[in-house]
Amino acid sequence: MILRLSLFVFLALAHANFAQTSEELLKGVILKINSVKDYKADISIKAEIPFVKVPIAKATLYFKQKDKFKVVSKGIAILPKQGISDLTSFLSNESKYTSLLGDSKTIGDIKTKLVTVIPNGENNEIILAKVYIDPTESLIYRTVLTTKESGTVTVDYTYGQNKKYGLPNKMTFSVDVKKFKMPKSVASDIRNSEKKTKDKKENKGVITITVIGYEVNKGISDDTFKKD
Amino acid sequence: MLWKNTRNEWIKITSKIRSYLGIGALTVLVVVVQVALKADGGSFISYVTASFEQTLSFNGKILNGNLVAFIVLQMLIVHVPLLIALVTGDLLSGEEAAGTIRMLATKPISRTQIVLSKWIAAALYTFVMTAWLAFLSLVVGKFIFGEGDLIVLNSSGLNIIASDDLPWRFALSMLIAFLALLTVSTLSLCFSAFAKNSVGPIVATMAVIILFTIIGTLDVTVFDAIKPYMFTTHMAAWRSVFEVPLPWDAVWESIVVLLVHIVVLLGITILRFNKKDITS
Repeated sequence: MILRLSLFVFLALAHANFAQTSEELLKGVILKINSVKDYKADISIKAEIPFVKVPIAKATLYFKQKDKFKVVSKGIAILPKQGISDLTSFLSNESKYTSLLGDSKTIGDIKTKLVTVIPNGENNEIILAKVYIDPTESLIYRTVLTTKESGTVTVDYTYGQNKKYGLPNKMTFSVDVKKFKMPKSVASDIRNSEKKTKDKKENKGVITITVIGYEVNKGISDDTFKKD
Repeated sequence: MLWKNTRNEWIKITSKIRSYLGIGALTVLVVVVQVALKADGGSFISYVTASFEQTLSFNGKILNGNLVAFIVLQMLIVHVPLLIALVTGDLLSGEEAAGTIRMLATKPISRTQIVLSKWIAAALYTFVMTAWLAFLSLVVGKFIFGEGDLIVLNSSGLNIIASDDLPWRFALSMLIAFLALLTVSTLSLCFSAFAKNSVGPIVATMAVIILFTIIGTLDVTVFDAIKPYMFTTHMAAWRSVFEVPLPWDAVWESIVVLLVHIVVLLGITILRFNKKDITS
């Protein structure tokens, strides 16, 4: 009898787990996102972009609900235009999109479910978002964003100590880099004839953001987000 | 005796008003560029980053003293040769025009030493002009715009160089710029040995620079063989110092070509002055 009951409970839980709808999966993610009122993160940025040579940059990232976001760096830091905070603020407003449940996919050793998010309005920068969510921990492990201006941006997330807040300790962005148009004034470089790069074909750039440390829900003044 | 004569030559240079024209013009030009960038530096930055701005965002202080110094150097290094030739093109021919060359030749010093002392004084003036350009662009630029990483656009794309990696690069670039300007000084001194008035050597120097620059920029295969040996090709070598990784081979090649030009032109000047029939 006990065995039958245990089997019933197990099957019921398993069914409940696997039968999560796309809305429920996203709700779990949003709950985690909303548990973070603000955060400050020290990050290091490694950019490997065609036609750009840049040293590893150190920066501080500030976020405050609902959509306040700022990056402060001593040197020049290159970040992707899309994919850092815009997806989470977009997902937070459930009335603005429709979601569909897709296939399962294993990313690393994590089994994820694909949720396709389509905005309801026509003026969104994000045209389509594919979000791979771990249903057991409600964590996003990969997003593929198709945007109006920035092409396709793929982001892979790795989690560490701040898993409970849904905050990754590493984000790897894969971005489309458009043709490099060299201004004519620069075309007269000394060794120009040796390396003509006038019409380079489209390529992918990879930007890796590694979080050195988070300070979550410690309170951040609105003044921090004022433009310098 | 050489150093004593060099000191006299330096005094002659510093006592001429035209020597300060160059420094004054340089100061005005740099200040104008810096004021313009302070007022509307944003448009220049978007010109540099335009190709990447759809996908990437550039954070941090892009318009800083290092970038302004780089822009100033790029804009003015082309015009400084004229300002230098104004002074160095007059060193030998000016003596002839003023009738003081006979008195100079009667001094207990060889003609070679006379040329060398004038060349050392010209080199010193060139160094002062280069150092003044460096001071205005870097020190004043950093005072107005602050410190920061340097973003440089060249034919291979965008290079971003960390601020702590820049002092030695600026020092090396100024050294190469000095060598390029010293080549111009030596060229004008060389022309000066052939002329009897000051205007000729100055105009001839600028004519050679313009002619060689045009040949260098023409994308015609006929000139490909001579381009690597023209000093004007290597006058922009200071820019190579801001490439990552630094093309040492190309930098050394430019230094050697410029040094060879200086030695050959100085040799021609000495030969000419030694054989010159000083009658006036």
